[in-house]
Amino acid sequence: MITLAVFIFFAVLAVAAAVLVIVQKNAMHSVLYLALTVLSTAGVFFTLQAEYLGAIQILVYAGGIVVLYIFVIVIVNLKEIVPERRRFLPKLILIAVPVAAGVEVAYLLLAKGFPAAGRGGQGLGFTTMAETLFGSYLFPFELASVLLLAVLVGAIIIARRKLVHDPD
Amino acid sequence: MIPIEAVIVLGLLLFAIGTVGVVVRKNLVVMLMSLELLLNGANIVLVGLGRFLDSPRGSIFALFVIIMAVSEAAVGFALVLAYFRQKKRYDVDALDELKG
Repeated sequence: MITLAVFIFFAVLAVAAAVLVIVQKNAMHSVLYLALTVLSTAGVFFTLQAEYLGAIQILVYAGGIVVLYIFVIVIVNLKEIVPERRRFLPKLILIAVPVAAGVEVAYLLLAKGFPAAGRGGQGLGFTTMAETLFGSYLFPFELASVLLLAVLVGAIIIARRKLVHDPD
Repeated sequence: MIPIEAVIVLGLLLFAIGTVGVVVRKNLVVMLMSLELLLNGANIVLVGLGRFLDSPRGSIFALFVIIMAVSEAAVGFALVLAYFRQKKRYDVDALDELKG
C-alpha cells in the first residue's frame, strides 16, 4: 500500500517535470526539470524493486548525462532563446498525434487488462540479475563496451575544432 | 502491489510527452532532452514488465537502453557542437541545407 503511494508520488512528479521540460523557453530550465524527471524515474525504479537500475539511473543519468547537457548549454551559450515559430494548426496536429496514440494504447490496456501473470514475489534482487547479465547476456555486455569505445572516439573526432590533414 | 497497467500508462505518458517534445520544439538541445524522456518511458515499461514477469531480463534490457542513451547523447552533442561551430545557430531551421 505504501509502495503504491510512493509510486504514484514519483509518477506524478515525473510526468509533471517531463511536461515542464518541453514547455520551458530557457534550455537551462529544461535541463533542471530533466534532472527532476530522471530522479523521479529512479524513484519509480526503486518502487518496482529494480534497485540496481535506480542506482545506475541516478549515477549515470543524473550524474553524467545531465551534467553533459549543462556543459553543452554553457559551451554553445544558449542564452538567446530560439524562437519557436510554428503555425497553430501544424503544432496542434503534431501534439495530437502522439497524444492520440498514447490514449489509444492506454484505452486498449485498461479495457482488456494486461495478461502479465504477476506472481507478486519478493523481487529478484541483485544475484539473479547479475547471473543472467554475465551469463546469457555476456556477449551483448561486451559489445556495449565496444560501442562505448566507438562513441568515445567518434565524439572526440566530430567535436574537434580542426580536421586532421588527410593525405587521401 | 503496483498494478502493471499503472506502470505501462506511466511509461506511455513519458513516451508521448517525449514525442511531442521531439516533433514540436525547434531547439536542438531540447530535442535531445526529449529523446531522453522517450527512452526513460521505454525503460519504465521494461522494468515494470520485468518486475511483473519475475524476470531479470527487464532490468538488463533497460541497462542496455541506458548505455544506448549515453552513446546517443554523446554523439548528438558532438554533432550539435560541430554544427554550432559552423553556423552559430542551434535550431533545426538551420539544418535544412545539409546535403547527403
